[in-house]
Amino acid sequence: MNTKFNTPLHIKRQRRLAYFKRYWMLYLLLVLPIAFFLIFRYIPMTYLQIAFKKNNIIQNIWEVPWADGTPFANFIRAYANRDFLYAVRNTVTLNLLDLVVGFPAPIILALVLNELTFKRFKRFTQTIVYMPHFLSWVIIYGMALQLFAPSTGLVNILINRMGYSSIPFLNNPGHWIWTYVFLGIWQSVGWNAIIYMAALTGINPELYEAAAVDGASRLRKTWHVTLPGLRPTIVTLLILSLGRILGSDFDRPFALSNNLVKSASNVISIFVYTNGIKGLQFSLAAAVGLLQSVVCVFFLLGANALARRFGERGIW
Amino acid sequence: MKKVLSTLLVTVMLFGLLTLSGAAAESPEIVDGRFVTTRQITVEVYDRANDGGSTPEDNFYTNFIKEGMLRDHNVAVTFVPVGRWTEDVDINNLLASSTAPDICVTYNYPAILSYANMGGVIDLAPLLEEHKNLLPNLWGLLGETNLYWNRDPEKGTVWAIEARLNNNQRINTFVREDWLTTLGLAEPTTLAEFEATLKAFMDNAELLLGENASQMIPFSTSFDVGWRADHLLTSFVPSNLTDKEFYIHDFDDRHLLYQGYKEGVRKLNEWYNAGLMWNDFALYGAGDKTEDNLIKSGFVGAFIHNWDYPYRDGEEGIHYNLQTGIGPQAAFIAVEPFQNDAGEHRKFLSNPIDRKVFLPATNDEPLASMLYIDWISKFENRFFLQFGEEGVTHEITADGVYKTLSVTGEKIMNSSANIDYTITINGRDAGNPEATAKSIALGYGGVEPRFIEKAFAVSVHDGYIVPHFNCGEIKSEEGMATPLKEKRDALFAQAVTAPVDQFDAVWDAGMEDYMASGGQAIIDERAAAFEKYYGK
Repeated sequence: MNTKFNTPLHIKRQRRLAYFKRYWMLYLLLVLPIAFFLIFRYIPMTYLQIAFKKNNIIQNIWEVPWADGTPFANFIRAYANRDFLYAVRNTVTLNLLDLVVGFPAPIILALVLNELTFKRFKRFTQTIVYMPHFLSWVIIYGMALQLFAPSTGLVNILINRMGYSSIPFLNNPGHWIWTYVFLGIWQSVGWNAIIYMAALTGINPELYEAAAVDGASRLRKTWHVTLPGLRPTIVTLLILSLGRILGSDFDRPFALSNNLVKSASNVISIFVYTNGIKGLQFSLAAAVGLLQSVVCVFFLLGANALARRFGERGIW
Repeated sequence: MKKVLSTLLVTVMLFGLLTLSGAAAESPEIVDGRFVTTRQITVEVYDRANDGGSTPEDNFYTNFIKEGMLRDHNVAVTFVPVGRWTEDVDINNLLASSTAPDICVTYNYPAILSYANMGGVIDLAPLLEEHKNLLPNLWGLLGETNLYWNRDPEKGTVWAIEARLNNNQRINTFVREDWLTTLGLAEPTTLAEFEATLKAFMDNAELLLGENASQMIPFSTSFDVGWRADHLLTSFVPSNLTDKEFYIHDFDDRHLLYQGYKEGVRKLNEWYNAGLMWNDFALYGAGDKTEDNLIKSGFVGAFIHNWDYPYRDGEEGIHYNLQTGIGPQAAFIAVEPFQNDAGEHRKFLSNPIDRKVFLPATNDEPLASMLYIDWISKFENRFFLQFGEEGVTHEITADGVYKTLSVTGEKIMNSSANIDYTITINGRDAGNPEATAKSIALGYGGVEPRFIEKAFAVSVHDGYIVPHFNCGEIKSEEGMATPLKEKRDALFAQAVTAPVDQFDAVWDAGMEDYMASGGQAIIDERAAAFEKYYGK
């Protein structure tokens, strides 16, 4: 039948041997990273079994009995907890808003910076806008208080002077969500733009020249040359951020939260922290974490499949 | 052959067991209270990382303890620092990695119960009974009340003993004395008078604060409304509640579940909406100094807080800052304006318990550890730790009162009265209550004793201690302490800041959520447990 593909065994072996003789050093180089992933990534994963076991941090994890009734008892308990459901809702809401509002922001910034002709000003602006990335969220909340607190915040004082009443940026759940999203953009837009800036430099300048010859305006050039050039980068980053839709930062919502906006700010990571870590329910926390990861993987795979269907390369 | 062998084995085993138990009973390893061979134990100590403090595990006072333990019991002690503000997580990690100190201390009893359920804690009941004669100081200081506070009513297990709370002063209501004088007002003695006082502060902001009039805050509170409005809120609790009702609603340490609390919070809500309260209180979290700074700057007219709060911390404290920043007349004074329906100024005081001491299962020197706990409970030893050296950390006044002095350098106390070392007692003990009270009044450098004496007396006047009912473990409370505490704080903050017409809706929704998230289950289980052990 398909004899064409049936190479005799001994020849196969010889080829393989020759291949190894030639490339063994490359494989040797791989040993270190593989060992790293084994020791620090895969072996710790065996401890995920705590999600299916009784809550115990004292005993050796291999000796702890399975959770009462079904191994999924901890998952059922999480699902029965309304705070967990609220946390899922809040996580999805905040992440979706971050995606819709926050995702295009660095692209727009990169495009604008790209159009600047005065190079020194461009570099200066770029440095300034990515600096907030290095501030911790605790500091950012401190700054937000100085600006947005209802009676002492600078912005609200200005609004009061203009004869309007204070806007509850930080103390009303509805307003808080937008403050959260806005602060997120402010903090990360410059940093995230870097990757697009790098992609922009990879676009062939001849394309712009050709477009100019064809009489394209600036906007036309952006639309027909720059954006298509950025498309693979945009798609890759979009897939990655969709993969994080149920994932959640801890420090951002935790630092920005206060007692008046808990109904909007309690996300999954905060649920894990208060109920799991502080409440000593480690099995519950692990179950929630596992659930979160599994959903994220599905989103990642789904987004990737979708991207490929639309003719993009995807991320693998 | 097999039979002979097994008989032989059984005999040997029995013999071994007999000699072992004999050894335990006679304790030949201990002669005159000292171990024959030196034993090693490790002891937890809180690390507060305070400015100018000494190393918590190695300093003048730890040396005193180490030398004493070696001399008296032939036990070598090593201290293990644990972060004061991260103790929960730190102890978790130490226990999980089997490296916990032999003697652990925490304020968190539910955590100890969780550890015990995981098999990580030694039962102290047999140790306390068996070695009673070796532990006279421990039994003398704590007695059955504190030692058996947590004894399981069914199994008799004792997972932790309770340190003694020597002074149960808790909370006070403070008003700016100089503002009352300026406005010609008397100290408020009723809620109506207190409210009128707040309004008077507001209306006379120009007079009291001059160009800073817009900063006027008649009444301030913090994210922890339950603590920072306690006297007001508890005055709304009916005076005729039975002990059973107290017990079943006692899960929350801010008494959220007590009857009447809603009306107390409604009063705060009125004040908030009338502009009598600090507008931004809910935005600042634990440890934030914004409110303290407002009080120190003299913008705040009244607040409720720890019984000695304005007088603490010397030059860093509120009193000193008011005196230097505003004038020698500026001071807060403790008042008691809030009466309950019986006309009493009832204040809920703490039971005489404090930190909880437990031995993790990895402890292989339980007896040496118990001797340590006994040694630290001995009057001479704890007196030295609490008061330090004469002429350095205390002096004796002409009328024989121990006056404490603050000190810097190697003999500094990292915690007030070295509370972190005297793990079985909280609060200075000068030998008898009278001497202690006098000593406390002199213990606030730069503050006139009359302020302290008044605060000390007012704080416990008409005090009420809800009796302790030991109904064993309430299963539904496991893991709920933090989640429900957060809900409570959020509920308080949201209810206080709600518009007046939405108060009922906000409160009821928050309460409904609290109950559905575990509150109701706890109340039901507590009610059932109470009926089981104490009848209806």
